[in-house]
Amino acid sequence: MIDRTVRVASPLRSYTQGAASVTAQGDSVAELLDGLERRFPGMRFRMIDEQDGIRPHIRLYAGTREIRAILEPMGAETTLHIICALSGG
Amino acid sequence: MGLSAAEIERYGRHLSLAEVGLAGQERLRAARVVVVGAGGLGSPAALYLAASGIGTLGIVDCDQVELSNLQRQILYQTSDVAQSKALAAARRLSALNPEISVVPHALELRAENVGAIVAGYDVVVDGSDRIATRYLVNDACVSLGKPLVTAAIHRFEGQAMTYQPGAGGCYRCLFPDASAGPAASCAEAGVLGVLPGVLGALQATEAIKLILGQGELLVGRLLTYDAMELSFREFRFARRPDCAACGDTPRIRVAVGPLPADELPVTPRRLAPRELAELLADPARSGAVRLIDVREAAEFAAGHLAGAESIPLAEIDRLRWNAPDGSVTVFICRSGARSLRACFAAARHGLQEPGQLEGGLLAWAAAIDPTLHVA
Repeated sequence: MIDRTVRVASPLRSYTQGAASVTAQGDSVAELLDGLERRFPGMRFRMIDEQDGIRPHIRLYAGTREIRAILEPMGAETTLHIICALSGG
Repeated sequence: MGLSAAEIERYGRHLSLAEVGLAGQERLRAARVVVVGAGGLGSPAALYLAASGIGTLGIVDCDQVELSNLQRQILYQTSDVAQSKALAAARRLSALNPEISVVPHALELRAENVGAIVAGYDVVVDGSDRIATRYLVNDACVSLGKPLVTAAIHRFEGQAMTYQPGAGGCYRCLFPDASAGPAASCAEAGVLGVLPGVLGALQATEAIKLILGQGELLVGRLLTYDAMELSFREFRFARRPDCAACGDTPRIRVAVGPLPADELPVTPRRLAPRELAELLADPARSGAVRLIDVREAAEFAAGHLAGAESIPLAEIDRLRWNAPDGSVTVFICRSGARSLRACFAAARHGLQEPGQLEGGLLAWAAAIDPTLHVA
């Protein structure tokens, strides 16, 4: 498995000790998220619900391609973007 | 009607642009834009929209200016602390551009009034700091077919998108439900002061493009901004056929009801201490002045202006208010916050043009009568 970059939304950076980008391994989005969970316990549940659905305030993109289900492969994309709804004004 | 000589001079740099020109500037003047939330995002957005010559600019905010707002909410000055944001913003924007009409809405948007507010404008700029308000505004815009430019911020990151009816997804398509999300406020999470300046300026840009019918809009695209790495990214999103607001069978419809009488725009007359003192010293006019001190009875007893009546704030809402033509009712409190609320309460109950002592009795003691004891 190759190293990929995960771009972490600002509200989730409390899990990554403030890091905006972290490295994870996996061929699918699910594998990348599992890798994140091992390093940053509790982070996956903030994005993914009990039925493995992407929570409605989160969007995932493999590069610029929207991810609808976490079993989707990353393919050749090297970066997973985690987008979170922000509320500050 | 064409632009006046003053307007031609004021908007000269716009008139030089082929994409704006005289026709575009007249479109801006004819446009009605409402800014929801006069905070970090709403401040720069409203300032640029006013400077650009948007003919009617509505400002919706129910909060009062706090000292901690001034690090990023550039509409306000230190002397505005404790004042209504909507009113302080209206004063500042009117001073920036007297050619335009600024309408303060010092109210909290709710399901009952959002339709009436949004229906009165052509474009909505949302910079509110509550997730529920974002959905309320989105749903009203979708229901009423109004374009919406929305943005949000968190620490060093911001995001923005534009909804144009019939042309792309709405905010609910992007985030169907963020109510359970990690939506910390600026107060909880902190925010770089200049961050909303970038996003708010982008919102004003989008609103102006919408009115001019020029350029490429952020429709169907979420723009994200990271101030720390100074990067912009763009993520496409589609309209969801199952969207509760703009989908094929929408479940959310926002109706336009009449605006409750207590939420009609009210602009209290602010009397500076010296102005009030001159009014009271003028025998020809002083008889028409009614002074109402809205502090608690104990505060009133400790010291008050000669001739003032004591009616604590809570009582104001229980009375019927009217005033003979030519008379002036001036509400007074310690610093100006309670008297402003009294103005709105009295307006709800019939008073046409409420006034308040600007800065309250503290300002009076400082400027007019240092012997006055202010409890």
